[in-house]
Amino acid sequence: MQFKINKITSALLASGLLLATHSAFAADPEIEALRQTILDLDQKIKVLERKNEIAAEEAAAKKKETPVVVAGPTGFGIKSADGQFEYSLKGLIQLDYRQFDNPDHTTNADDGFTARRIRPTFQGTLFGKYDFRFTPEFGETDNTNTGTGNISRVIDAYVDGRFDPAFKIRAGKFKPFVGLERLQGGGDIKFIERSYVSNNILPNRGLGTSVYGDLLDSKLSYAVGFFNGTNDGGEETTRVDANSDKDYTARVFTTPFKGSDSVLEGLGFGVAGTYTNSSTGTLPSYKTPSQQLNFFQYTTGTVGDGTRVRVSPQAYYYYGPFGVIAEYARVSQEVRNAAGTVNDTLKNDAWQIAASWVLTGEDASFKSVKPKNPFETGKDGWGAWELVGRYQENNIDGSAFNTASGNRFANPLTSAKEAKTWGIGLNWYLNQWVRLATNYEQTKFEGGGGGTLANIRDREDERILFSRLQFQF
Amino acid sequence: MKTIIHHLRSAAVALALAAPLAASAADISLLNVSYDPTRELYQDFNAAFAKYWKAKTGDNVTIKASHGGSGKQGRAIIDGLEADVATLALAYDIDALYEKGKLIPKDWQKRLPHNSSPYTSTIVFLVRKGNPKNIKDWDDIARPGISVVTPNPKTSGGARWNYLAAWAYGQRKFNNDETKTREFIGKILKNVPVLDSGARGATTTFVERGIGDVLLAWENEAFLAQKELGPDKFEIVVPSLSILAEPPVTVVDKVVNKRGTRAVAEAYLQYLYTEEGQEIAAKNYYRPTLESVAKKYEKNFPKLNLVTVDSEFGGWQKAQKTHFSDGGTFDQIYLK
Repeated sequence: MQFKINKITSALLASGLLLATHSAFAADPEIEALRQTILDLDQKIKVLERKNEIAAEEAAAKKKETPVVVAGPTGFGIKSADGQFEYSLKGLIQLDYRQFDNPDHTTNADDGFTARRIRPTFQGTLFGKYDFRFTPEFGETDNTNTGTGNISRVIDAYVDGRFDPAFKIRAGKFKPFVGLERLQGGGDIKFIERSYVSNNILPNRGLGTSVYGDLLDSKLSYAVGFFNGTNDGGEETTRVDANSDKDYTARVFTTPFKGSDSVLEGLGFGVAGTYTNSSTGTLPSYKTPSQQLNFFQYTTGTVGDGTRVRVSPQAYYYYGPFGVIAEYARVSQEVRNAAGTVNDTLKNDAWQIAASWVLTGEDASFKSVKPKNPFETGKDGWGAWELVGRYQENNIDGSAFNTASGNRFANPLTSAKEAKTWGIGLNWYLNQWVRLATNYEQTKFEGGGGGTLANIRDREDERILFSRLQFQF
Repeated sequence: MKTIIHHLRSAAVALALAAPLAASAADISLLNVSYDPTRELYQDFNAAFAKYWKAKTGDNVTIKASHGGSGKQGRAIIDGLEADVATLALAYDIDALYEKGKLIPKDWQKRLPHNSSPYTSTIVFLVRKGNPKNIKDWDDIARPGISVVTPNPKTSGGARWNYLAAWAYGQRKFNNDETKTREFIGKILKNVPVLDSGARGATTTFVERGIGDVLLAWENEAFLAQKELGPDKFEIVVPSLSILAEPPVTVVDKVVNKRGTRAVAEAYLQYLYTEEGQEIAAKNYYRPTLESVAKKYEKNFPKLNLVTVDSEFGGWQKAQKTHFSDGGTFDQIYLK
């Protein structure tokens, strides 16, 4: 309406009808009054337009200063207008049902529900280059590999300084840059539980600092670290270190075809390792795939005495809906028996190869699958479906059992020498936040774990059917 | 072959000689955060200073300028805008850099001559050609039916000068009867159809959007509008009384210390006081403070009765608190 009046006024003014002082009508008081009214209206319209203009300018300026509140697929958070400051809340909840095929009750594992991970994450950015992340754990986890328990604790608490893509520093409690599968998020892993490589050999989380970065257009990444140190598969606490010996970590990983249109675009490979020298090192127990039972443990009093070196070549490959991850880890650990009479260097290793195939055609990646057509009742979308399969082994150095009774590092009646596991699974991603998963895994143990000294028998096979409901945002 | 070797040797010698020179020439950048109508002034001045600095030191200095309502610009600096120098419309906005940000020392105004105001200005009226509403003095803009364009004193330094000039006139007219002065100011504000955030915005409203009968403007802004758009469109009316506007300048100590630009920033402001700097100010219709230049351009600036903030209002701190802080006379009158 304003526009119309404005246009009419302008047209009239332009035509000279209202302004023509020489017009015969000019002397007519009515025409003069009408002319004045039109001019007043013209001013009013201009004022209104200018006010709108100013309001729009102010709104645009305010928008530049107003923090952006985000509540959407990427999570919940708030960000300063210039993006220099950000705070967000993320979360991961995993509710599992664990079913053991254990008719003879030869193990003490029970069927039942468990809240595997309950992790709110508070993370953010300060001044555009300093990131922080704080994640407590309220779920059933105890990855110290020294027992079982339900310990609420800080699982991640660290600060990153991103000074340059090639030079970043992280300090606090976090996943050391070592294991490939370990570096996958807890909500992104393809199987319900990680492999022996992650859970039994390589460190889970450390307390320390790392320098890391990306080079050559992010085709090569590196990391070196310095940590209090933890035993195989272990997670450090946030308490003061029990000794002065430290773990040194290093990793290089390359994705040489990243950004190209080659079929190898999704290929990445590298190698990582850790080193420590400790005369008082505690030693781990190695868990079965269920993560509830130990198939190998050192005899009481056996300790790490000397160097521990871990080496882990690792690779992944993703092409379309297909993905594969392969990882090997070997730990060379100097040990001493309880009596202090025998020293040895034990070489334990583990490896895995896991493949995934997204049946609904979405691209596979190191991260979780994003369904093209999320599942919604009454609509056509069925989310994304993914088949997974894995074979993995964990092998204990035979020397752990070979020493004469009394001086052994491990008891063949309670510990097995090898664990060989195959597993399959199905993941249903209802949408990018909700996932249902089920896995079947069967493990064959060899080289002990049962029987008597006169008749050492292999530990009974473990057959597990695990299911999971996962929320991740 | 000998010739080639000779040329190569000459080139090497030339390179060797040039290398130290090239290495010593630094590239420096400065940010001048200024108020609204100084765009043209600093465009000319920055070019002149860069040339002067290059000749003096061999360094290349690039000066970036940011313009907006003076109060708003001051707040931006306090909030983290890294200004090497602040050249704002009034001392109160620079005082805030000390009061709220501790970015400069308390006695910043003593560091340069004339209370750190290298040039001055005043407030005049810009009216449409022929002065159809016959506006001659402050009384006329308080008349019913007169549309007055002035920016918002909450954000604009120029608007605060406008307001104080009108207030000073009212106090004299009504023999310091504050109630009557308030009524007088109320009548003027009632005639304001739109409040822009800065002086340049108000000029746009009046000149480009064709709104209003009179623009209360910085003298330099009025001259500039007349020059840019032609004397056949606008006329300048000089009221019987106005206010001496003293826009001050300062180095922002915390910023120059952090950026290592103190020497060039100080030289930049000192250059404003030189004959060349004063000439540039005068050519951009700011009243120079250097006697020789002021005399040269005196015909350009009408003589009028000017009050000062210090004598009339007890300084900017008091003026701000009384009139422009939340709940001050402006709020009381405008929001009534």
